[in-house]
Amino acid sequence: MNFLTLLGVELKKIRRSRILLILGIAAVLLWLPSILNAHLNFDMQAEGISPEHNFFIQGFMGMAWFMFPASMVIGTVLLGQTERSNHGILRMLALPVSTAKLCMAKYIVLLTLAAVQMAMMTGMYFISAAIASQTQDYEFLLPPLFVLKEVLLMYVSAVPMTAFFWMLSVCIQTPIFSVGIGLASIVPSVLMINTRMWFVYPMDYPFYVITAKYGELASNLTETEMELIPWLPVAVGFTGVCMAVAVVCFGRSERR
Amino acid sequence: MNIIETNHLTKSYAGFTAVSNVSLHIPKGTVYGFLGPNGAGKSTTMKMFLGLTKPTDGDFLIDGKKYPKDRIEILKEVGSFIEAPSFYGNLTGEENLDIVRRILGLPKSAVDDALELTGLTQWRKRLARKYSLGMKQRLGLASALIGRPPILILDEPTNGLDPVGIHEIRSLIRSLPEKLQCTVLVSSHLLSEIELMADNIGILNHGRLLFEGTLKELKQGAEMKGYDADNLEDTFLAMIEEDNFQRGGAR
Amino acid sequence: MNTILEYKKIKRTGVLPGCLLGGCLAAFVPILELAVRSEQYVGISKPPLQIILQADWQMMAMLNMLLVIVISCMMYHSEYADNAIQRITTLPVREEEIFIGKTILLAGMCIVLLVIEMLSLIFCTLHWFGGADGAFIKDLLQNFGYSFCMLLPVAIISLMAASAWKNMWIPLGIDVVCVFMATMIPVKYFALSIFPFALPFQILEGAKAGKVVSYLIAAAAEVLLIGAAEMIFLKVRRSLA
Repeated sequence: MNFLTLLGVELKKIRRSRILLILGIAAVLLWLPSILNAHLNFDMQAEGISPEHNFFIQGFMGMAWFMFPASMVIGTVLLGQTERSNHGILRMLALPVSTAKLCMAKYIVLLTLAAVQMAMMTGMYFISAAIASQTQDYEFLLPPLFVLKEVLLMYVSAVPMTAFFWMLSVCIQTPIFSVGIGLASIVPSVLMINTRMWFVYPMDYPFYVITAKYGELASNLTETEMELIPWLPVAVGFTGVCMAVAVVCFGRSERR
Repeated sequence: MNIIETNHLTKSYAGFTAVSNVSLHIPKGTVYGFLGPNGAGKSTTMKMFLGLTKPTDGDFLIDGKKYPKDRIEILKEVGSFIEAPSFYGNLTGEENLDIVRRILGLPKSAVDDALELTGLTQWRKRLARKYSLGMKQRLGLASALIGRPPILILDEPTNGLDPVGIHEIRSLIRSLPEKLQCTVLVSSHLLSEIELMADNIGILNHGRLLFEGTLKELKQGAEMKGYDADNLEDTFLAMIEEDNFQRGGAR
Repeated sequence: MNTILEYKKIKRTGVLPGCLLGGCLAAFVPILELAVRSEQYVGISKPPLQIILQADWQMMAMLNMLLVIVISCMMYHSEYADNAIQRITTLPVREEEIFIGKTILLAGMCIVLLVIEMLSLIFCTLHWFGGADGAFIKDLLQNFGYSFCMLLPVAIISLMAASAWKNMWIPLGIDVVCVFMATMIPVKYFALSIFPFALPFQILEGAKAGKVVSYLIAAAAEVLLIGAAEMIFLKVRRSLA
């Protein structure tokens, strides 16, 4: 059994599950306040950041700290629901597939969804920046390369967090609790990014990345350091542990 | 030759034994009827064959292969239909089958074949969650039959079907060994139903095997004990009642 | 009577332990914050309560809201999941009474949450700022009373959303999005800040008296309005069914 075939199968399973629609709505809602409040970007003298940079940073901050993690929490649950609601998982377990591979394939699907979500939010950024440019008569659009580089960095930094959410949804049988814990785990990010120990809390990585950029762009804010050591080893280790736990738990309650 | 054999197979949960010391012998190329009232342990036994639950004690051989060592090998040979049909509600019947087909690495024609066998061809494009109970049941059967596996494990396949559907599915199962050269293990709580399909019968009550043998042997045994051999349903009920009585007495 | 019944219904759903755990989690925020960087706060010459609330209430309020949302979805989910509501509606009891019972129960759980958080604030004040006198306790009680009033509209609106859909993920999604939108509202617009999901972010400490009164009025009005809307909604749904 080829892993790619399995991945194809898993992608097929989310057809008509409306996950993409939900991710799309989240992307639109994210930028709506930014368009409506575009004029506020001109009052940022205290921070010393240019309006177009502020527009970019504020929107992506909203995404990194809440909208993106929350969408991922919901995404993991919907992925789990497609399996559980009509016992599809039982059929899978009675087929000659290794459960570990199945679990990994689902996680890759989640990462794909995360990428789609990021792409949608970035697309919406360009659209809303264009709209804001029209309404405010000021050029809000930033060079695409600058934006894409930052988005890519946030995406990579979100990998450990998605692994954590995936683990939650696999291990906690009552989906509402895995959602509750997932959502609750997002909130302390605000606290954690301001501490020296920010790297021990993977839910704040994307938020940290964008905050660091904020510090860099705003002349009156202190710059935040992004050191790869010990961040990288902690992130890799955390992802590994989450995936290991998820693989062990996957399908366990169905094969009691 | 026996294609499935169990050896003192036991499954206990905390404080209760679902399957106790069951030794089954299922000959190749036959339909084996697995009979017992609700909660007798039929589903649990079948789930153990599929690796959906681990035996507490004893073991079993399927086509000479052992669980858990050869789990994947066993599953490659077994088509299964367990409990309430399992499917993805957001996919059409055809798409559901295609998922199973791809995992089993079968050619595209296998889906059409399975749809044809179960009479679902005209509903192939409909979403599975919009299926009627009977259609869902057929979809479950189709996903068990896909690729024509040498062994079929079917748990109460006629549950929830109307009389016409029941008849169709029965005839289908009856014809399978000949048509597909396979062995079928089918469970039911109705002896009258098993009678029409099975060559061999195993009767389970409270996790224990009360009888195993051919229909003829069951009739002979019934006559010897003085039951009415023409009405096997009564024989079955009497056997269960006697067993329950003895169990009660032993307590 | 109804509330007791509703309480029985949530048995073994994990709602109660969830409520306690959620309360502890929110209560842990100021403790963690002060443990990690007390040096930033201890020197400030403001009342300890104000320092802590200004630093941490945003997060705590958000956790409270998320918890209230999850619990409200759970409460109605247990009705819809196995069609229990169908049986209930064929009994001589009105759905409105069920809603009121649930609202009172949820309000009770909000109090439990806030009490846990209050205890944590007392601990923080004793531990990092030294001494909590009678005036502090009075302040604390007033603050949490205010917070309770600010949380009520969220409780009732999320219950309303939960009662409207059979599939619990829809109200959950809507509520979560609303919480997010509330965090994006600029603070300077009063009209926007009385959005039910934005109210819980308000703090009594350090706020102007006139503003406090207008927020209280807004919260009370919202509770009444949403309650009335729910009553009408249930009536209309019944007559259409």
